[in-house]
Amino acid sequence: MSFDSDAHARARRKALRVAVGALCTEVGFGIVEDSALETLTEMLQSVLTEIGRASRSYAELSGRTEVMITDVVMACVDQGINVNSIPAHAKRVNKSVFIPPGQSTPHPV
Amino acid sequence: SLPSQESRPPYVPLTDFVQQLEDYAPTIPDSVTAYYLNRAGFEATDPRIVRLISLASQKFISDIANDALQHCKMKASGQSSKKQGKDKKFTLTMEDLTPALAEYGINVKKPHYYT
Repeated sequence: MSFDSDAHARARRKALRVAVGALCTEVGFGIVEDSALETLTEMLQSVLTEIGRASRSYAELSGRTEVMITDVVMACVDQGINVNSIPAHAKRVNKSVFIPPGQSTPHPV
Repeated sequence: SLPSQESRPPYVPLTDFVQQLEDYAPTIPDSVTAYYLNRAGFEATDPRIVRLISLASQKFISDIANDALQHCKMKASGQSSKKQGKDKKFTLTMEDLTPALAEYGINVKKPHYYT
């Protein structure tokens, strides 16, 4: 793993933590134990990485370099995510959004 | 538990739904999702695809948290009367999260001394 982008990685990780916290609040929890929050954050990071990896693989399998929606759908199905229920989740009433962190620093590629 | 059938009769194809994501802000910020996707070797050029992935993973976490809440509520109703007095907040603990994750085939094992 690269250490030069450690500070960036930490910032993204914090953002994920906030997102998990927001999702738990939406579901109806008032308080979250630290270890539970950490576990869910780890899982969110893992699922994001896995969807990214799998959809890239599906794109490459079809001889493309650009990922298409169908690749993402296949990757989600592999993860056991019900794709047809995503629109309903997107339109939920108590959706919370927070301001993304650090636009001041250039995005490391 | 099986995911409930949330697809409604006026079924919108997913490709149409993705077109609608043009001006949608998911709970996980785009830049954060894009960072993890880039790390996995996925060069995210279309922001709508990034948003679709954000939503998919949000849904995943949301479902697990909801299952944990059901566990929490069941436990609370078991020991009724005692704490029901004040309109109490539910607390997400590892105790509730572990059985919820077990339903997804994930076994959480953490050493007791690790916080």
